[in-house]
This record gives sequence, structure tokens and C-alpha cells, in this order.
Amino acid sequence: MSKSHLPRSAFLRGAAAIMPLSLATAPWGLLAGSMAIEANLTPLQGQGLSSIVFAGAAQLVAIGMLKGGAGVFSILLTTLLLTSQHLLYGMSMRSVISPLPGRWRVGLGFLLTDELFALTSQHDKQQFDRWYALGVGLTFYIAWNLFTLAGIVLGSSIPGLEHIGLDFSIAATFIALITPVVRNVPTVVCVAVSLFCSVLFSYWQWGSALVLSGLAGMTAGFICNKFQGART
Amino acid sequence: MMVWAVIIGMGVLVFLNRYVFLEPRLPVRLSSNARQFLGFAVPGMLTAICGPIVFMPEKQLNLQWDNPYLISSLVAIGLVLYTRNTLLSMLLSMGFFFLLRWWL
Repeated sequence: MSKSHLPRSAFLRGAAAIMPLSLATAPWGLLAGSMAIEANLTPLQGQGLSSIVFAGAAQLVAIGMLKGGAGVFSILLTTLLLTSQHLLYGMSMRSVISPLPGRWRVGLGFLLTDELFALTSQHDKQQFDRWYALGVGLTFYIAWNLFTLAGIVLGSSIPGLEHIGLDFSIAATFIALITPVVRNVPTVVCVAVSLFCSVLFSYWQWGSALVLSGLAGMTAGFICNKFQGART
Repeated sequence: MMVWAVIIGMGVLVFLNRYVFLEPRLPVRLSSNARQFLGFAVPGMLTAICGPIVFMPEKQLNLQWDNPYLISSLVAIGLVLYTRNTLLSMLLSMGFFFLLRWWL
């Protein structure tokens, strides 16, 4: 990808690049909005979750817990564990984002989702363009909030929207992101271990199932990579 | 009131998770091993998010052929490999999923 020196064109390139993923999260956003209404949150609170927290999986789990009468502390602890993959994203993007001025760091930090990471993580210092990243992040943020709003509006008029399987959209999106990356043995091992562990740990109902299985997969891929490097 | 406390608290926690390593004053330097490890973050983490959705709909392990999530995921993988088109694969596999659910 050639680096553009025009901020506006880089911004637009980013916005265009994230468009397919933004559209694909429509069902997931609808779910977040309609579930909030279903759980007796006010429309403003439902929208607040998407505009302040901006983390799909954590939002849905928190809504479920609020509905089930969980306390503030346990919801926050679950959120912390459930979104700790962002620590890894931050660590990975550190070399390109930490030298930026404060408002860029805070802005891109706030917008650092799974999707933004997936689109920009391969960029090194030369390729990374802050405007491109902002285009990706901001477009995704706006799309996510619009779909949540649609979910809030629909959820108040169509009951039972959460039982039609809207959550498949997140699986479809991530499969489309992962499959092209799986090109060598270490990545296959990483995906296989992560998948197995995520199902097993969720079956055991571990609160930190997500991040632990992700770490297990990454470790397996890393070790496999080392062995391959040692042999050749 | 409690709901707003949860929302604000979650917002702060998620932001801290995202921001903490972007802060230049935090004294960490990543070794080449750490970088290699983080290179597996996309496949590792995204797969971990998908796993329970696909294999455990309704929080119950379901490895049967009547699990539309499982079948549609296999279709989605096939579509990505065959078409090499992200958006098309996502749309077609979601369409397939909803047809399948309606049919099952």
C-alpha cells in the first residue's frame, strides 16, 4: 500500500476499506440495540453503551448480566477480562501510535477495535498512516452507532429480535478476516488451538475464556514458528 | 443510576485496555520475540471470539449437523477460499445462515 501524503485521500481510503466490515456488523449492532431495550434499559442508555464503551462483545454480555441482576463489580470484572485482547492490540500498535501527539493517541486508542487492528496491524512505520487509521476507526464507530440506533428503534417495535441468530454476523465477519491470514503451518496451529480452547473454556464457563484461549493459540503458533525456524 | 455507573465504568476500562500500551511514558520495549508473538494476535484472538458463537449456540455445545452456526461457518470458509472476496463471502454466508435457520 503506497503512503498517501494527502490526509483527506488517506482518510477516505480508510473509510472505504472498512466499509464491508461496517456493513457486516449491521446485524450485530441491531442485536446490541434491541437487546438493550429488551433488558429494560432506556434508549439513551442503549445508545450510551455503543457510543461510550464501543465494544460489541462486552456490551452484549453486560446487557445480559444487567438483565440477570448482576452487580456493578462483577460486570466490570467481566468487561475487563472480555476486552483484554485490546491490551495485545495496543502493545502491537505501540511502535506506530505511541510516537504520535497526545490527541491522536487518545483518539486512535479509543477507536482501536478488533476490526481496526485487523486492517492496520500489518503496517510498519513507513506504511502506517494516521489519517487512514482514523478513516477506518471513525467510519466504523459511526456505523456501529447507527446500527445500534436502528436496533433500539426496531427493538422497541419488534419483540424477540434477539432470537433470530443475529450473532452469526460476527462469526461470518471474523471468518472472512481470519481465513485469508491462515497461510502457513504456525498460523494453522494457532487457529486450531485457539478454537479448541475457546470452546472448552467456554464450556467450563470461565469468565476469561476469550483472552486465555487467544493467548494459548498465539503461544502455540509462536512455538511452532520457532521450531520451523530452527529446522530450516 | 446503576446502569449509568456500569456504562461509564465499562467505557473507562475498555479505553484503558486499548490505550495503556500506546502511552509513550510507559516504559516497555518489545523484543523481537514479543513482536513475533503479537503477530499471531489477529488469528488467535478473532478465532477465540468465534469459537463459542459457532460451537455453542444457546450456551450448549452442539456438534450436530443441525447446528446452523457450524454449517454456515464451514460455508463461509469455503466461500472466502473460493471467491477471495470478503464482502461477498460475508453476505452470502449470512444469507445462507438465515435460510438454513428458517428451513431447520
